[in-house]
Amino acid sequence: MKETKHIGKISISVVCVILGILLALQLKSVKENGSVDDLSAMRIQTLQELLDEGREDKDRLEERIKELEEEIQAYREAAADENVGNDQALLSEIEHWKKAAGMTDVVGPGVEIVLNDSTSVNTTGEEANYLIHDSDILSVVNELRDAGAEALSLNGHRILATTEIRCSGSVVSINGRRTSAPFVIDAIGDTDTMFNALMMRNGVVDVLKQWSIQVEVMEVDELLIKAYDGRIEFRHAKTMTDAMLDEERDAG
Amino acid sequence: MRVYIVFSVLLGILIGYFLPINIPQEYSIYVAVMLLAAADAAAGGMNARLHRQFQVNLFISGAVGNGLIAVLLTYLGERIGIPLYLAAVVVFGTRLFQNFGEIRRQLLTLSGNRNTIDKSTHNTQEVEENAPIETK
Repeated sequence: MKETKHIGKISISVVCVILGILLALQLKSVKENGSVDDLSAMRIQTLQELLDEGREDKDRLEERIKELEEEIQAYREAAADENVGNDQALLSEIEHWKKAAGMTDVVGPGVEIVLNDSTSVNTTGEEANYLIHDSDILSVVNELRDAGAEALSLNGHRILATTEIRCSGSVVSINGRRTSAPFVIDAIGDTDTMFNALMMRNGVVDVLKQWSIQVEVMEVDELLIKAYDGRIEFRHAKTMTDAMLDEERDAG
Repeated sequence: MRVYIVFSVLLGILIGYFLPINIPQEYSIYVAVMLLAAADAAAGGMNARLHRQFQVNLFISGAVGNGLIAVLLTYLGERIGIPLYLAAVVVFGTRLFQNFGEIRRQLLTLSGNRNTIDKSTHNTQEVEENAPIETK
């Protein structure tokens, strides 16, 4: 009896020691893994700060672009002032091409199209079918251009000759900026022509509506389309000069 | 008298604390169920000893076997995508409370015996305690 009691004590002690070891190990590992989570949270915060910094930089640089453009404008005007008369024409020429390039704010009658993702119940199971894609926006823009639109903008971003409209993840990238639904397309031009071009049977709006994408087309008497607020850089294309033409002719 | 239990747990904690082993996160669930199995075994053993029904072979086989089954269940659960370790957690947790309840009753009744409170209540409790107790 005494023997059994002793063995019992020892065996319970052994189990208790194991219990203590496991407890300590588990506590240690839980603590360790918790600190890993803290670390990743810190990392996210750091990245967020970097992103904010980058955005601030971008805003500052955009401001700078505006300043410089104003400076250029002042120079142009000064140059035109020096010999008045002849250069008035030059100035209006510059105005014309600036307008064509999308570098000025323009107003005029036009249409406003609002595109929004489908609200209908997803029955095909294919989420992508119910979302607006870059191709949808492009087809609307193309149709508007065909109908004689003179100035276009998407969500306030001017659409230029070099503008891209492209899916980048869940958003659309335009002029290097990101924008997301709802997409508002403004177009200045002949209101009726553009409206009819969009609304014709089997036209763009018809096709989009088949996917229950919400399309709204409004005729607006006076639309304001802002100028392109970025900078157009030519790194590869050079202006062809007469000298170069001659050279090419000689070579040919 | 029962201080040895506290001492051995403390000793174990010290050993575990200074052991240069770190459990990776994916194995920490196994340690957790083994921990519960050990706690259950210790409580069951103490209970059995208080009832003077302690048997070493039962105790050892129960402690080792339960721990193994708990780990196996956890492993199987991870394989087939069902959190089977919950079964071990529930069983061991419930039994911890049961064992603690019986230990408590035994101890309090014993000390109450010395003070001789009420004979009739003591007798009814005696009957309860004579009910079969699962030793491990």
